[in-house]
Amino acid sequence: MSSSTDILQVKDLEMHFPVRGGILNRVQSKVHALNGVSFSLKKGEVLGVVGESGCGKSTLGKCLIRLHSPTAGSILFEGEELTGLSHGELMPYRKRIQMIFQDPYSSLNPRMTVRQALREVALFHQVPTPFGMNAYIEELVQRVGLRVDAVDKFPHEFSGGQRQRIGIARALACNPDVLVADEPVSALDVSIQAQVLNLLMDLKDEFGLTLVFVSHDLKVIEHFCDRVLVMYLGNVVEELSCDDLHKNAAHPYTKALLGANPINDPDDRRPLIVLQGDVPSPFVLPPGCAFAGRCPVAEAKCHTDRPRLERKSVDHPVSCWLVD
Amino acid sequence: MSSTPQATSAPSWWSKFLQGRGVRKFKRDKMAIGSLVVILVYLLCALAVGLNVLEKEDAFARVGPGWTPGFGGTQNGEKRLQDAEFRIEQIERAAAATQAEDALKALNFGALVPFSNDPEVVSARVAEAWAIFNATVEYDDLEEDPAAAKLLLDLESKVEELYTQPTGLSSLVHSLRMSLGTDLQGRSIMFRALYSTKVAVQIGIISALFSVLLGTLLGAAAGYFGGWVDHLVIWLYSTFSSIPWIVLLMVLASAFRGGPFDGTLIPVYAAFCMSFWISPCRVIRGEVMKLKELEYVQAASAMGFGKIQILLKHIIPNTAHLMFINFSLLFVGAIKAEVILSFLGLGVKGQPSWGVMISQAKAEVLNGFFWQIGAATFFMVILVLAFNILSDALQDAFDPKHV
Repeated sequence: MSSSTDILQVKDLEMHFPVRGGILNRVQSKVHALNGVSFSLKKGEVLGVVGESGCGKSTLGKCLIRLHSPTAGSILFEGEELTGLSHGELMPYRKRIQMIFQDPYSSLNPRMTVRQALREVALFHQVPTPFGMNAYIEELVQRVGLRVDAVDKFPHEFSGGQRQRIGIARALACNPDVLVADEPVSALDVSIQAQVLNLLMDLKDEFGLTLVFVSHDLKVIEHFCDRVLVMYLGNVVEELSCDDLHKNAAHPYTKALLGANPINDPDDRRPLIVLQGDVPSPFVLPPGCAFAGRCPVAEAKCHTDRPRLERKSVDHPVSCWLVD
Repeated sequence: MSSTPQATSAPSWWSKFLQGRGVRKFKRDKMAIGSLVVILVYLLCALAVGLNVLEKEDAFARVGPGWTPGFGGTQNGEKRLQDAEFRIEQIERAAAATQAEDALKALNFGALVPFSNDPEVVSARVAEAWAIFNATVEYDDLEEDPAAAKLLLDLESKVEELYTQPTGLSSLVHSLRMSLGTDLQGRSIMFRALYSTKVAVQIGIISALFSVLLGTLLGAAAGYFGGWVDHLVIWLYSTFSSIPWIVLLMVLASAFRGGPFDGTLIPVYAAFCMSFWISPCRVIRGEVMKLKELEYVQAASAMGFGKIQILLKHIIPNTAHLMFINFSLLFVGAIKAEVILSFLGLGVKGQPSWGVMISQAKAEVLNGFFWQIGAATFFMVILVLAFNILSDALQDAFDPKHV
């Protein structure tokens, strides 16, 4: 799986959140948010992460930028292990992996102007500004498609799309290599979504970014990503190239997701797979495949043995007993 | 790159603030503007007292016979006689003093001066006045008897002649001084009430400021760090809030008695801060717990900012509105609490305050003399009312959800 061009390698990443309670505040149970997620990311690639609510997509993103400390597993950034590093040791990597947040209304400090917010980041990470701080900030603001006079405004003076652009500018202010975008367009209007996605695409080329793009919208993923990671209850069920998404999707869950996505072509009819039941509780994981309870093709083995993510063809790992 | 074109192209935050929606809404509210003016008058008054425009001696000086009613109110004959007696005595004492300075001190009328600098002339006129006084005292009924009434009028005009009548500013000061009458000891109620304004504002500002600071500090630490810090702070404020605040105030105020700070306002500040920090602490702890989950705080920690830096730059500034609300509530609360504490004899000592005035008025009210308690209550009620109206209006004007 690994090669020299991999900028990020994630192996068997687990994130369990303890739930405390009782008089002695002991750990009563755990939320199994991530259960052994593995993938690798080449420089300049855009990886989409898709799945339904609560499947651990956002937790994965937050583990990558170390907002959460993973319980187990490893994150290798250019071959350097990031898990287990202290606050100080992590500092050089902080500015190389940044994040864009979902809600543009809560992702900006309401009391800081755009200039203050960007300057804070650039100063903190000592980003070189050959033409002075003001010039750097103004250029950055223009790069994300805002007018120069936006720099002295407060967040409440902007619309949602403009705020998201400011959020992107803030993430870019420290010149990162990897950008984790946690549903960056799901809170925006459809018309604005396209603008922000196109902006991200332009910036990706301009800054040479590698992107992890978390979304629950398959259309956006198809439009934007090179590869897609399909997640279900903290597990990766399938990883495939976006071009293969419709042709080669192998896992029943991926198929169901694709089937639920409306297609604007009345002649292109395909069987609608309606999943029954609910996602199992993340507190107590089922012994077999997490998806077995809802899978339309599940067999006895699926309920008892957990499948592993195995490569079924070149660059197409699937975690299912029934796929050869 | 110079910063001048920046400064001119971008309006300053202050002019932006003045043009903002909140300020425009506030300006339309006439009650709010009125209450703001009232509060400013109080603050100016407190500042003037602080700058010694009105000195502590003015609040303690004996300026007339005890229990003179305010607004030059009608007095019975007995009161008028007392007034004349007081004034003759004052002039006599002034004339008897050998030094000019002593004379002023003995007179202590501030703006009022004897008609002559020559002690001989003054004592001759004083003797005449005493003669009329002694004649008047003979009568039992000063009002019904025409002869007595005439004598009383004579006496009063004689007394008037003993003084140089004040003119201009000094006459204004004198009428202000006498406007609300005098208390039992003959001290100017108006000046005492004005001096108390400074005491009240001082106690209000200092107690509210330190309570809010303490509460914010502890509340923010508890909310942000959680864990044992949170448990400790919760334990502290649940313990403190389980004691009725008035009892806590009394205990603390009496604990300071006889100590090095006795006679200063420090025991009062300490008592207020220890019981008032709880409500800002509780509110701000909750707000911080909410804020720390917001994405801009997560973004800041993804940037690598330290916890203290995030707390100071991204969290505490966003609780400013709660700090303001709590400050205004505690300011009013401290003023009212000071009155209660002073009424109980545990508060302000060695200087007048509205509470001290109300406490001293206990005996007067039973005798039908209401000027002192009326003045103190009026001054306090107007300030508290104005503050309540203002904080309501501010909340309405600056609440983004309020139309």
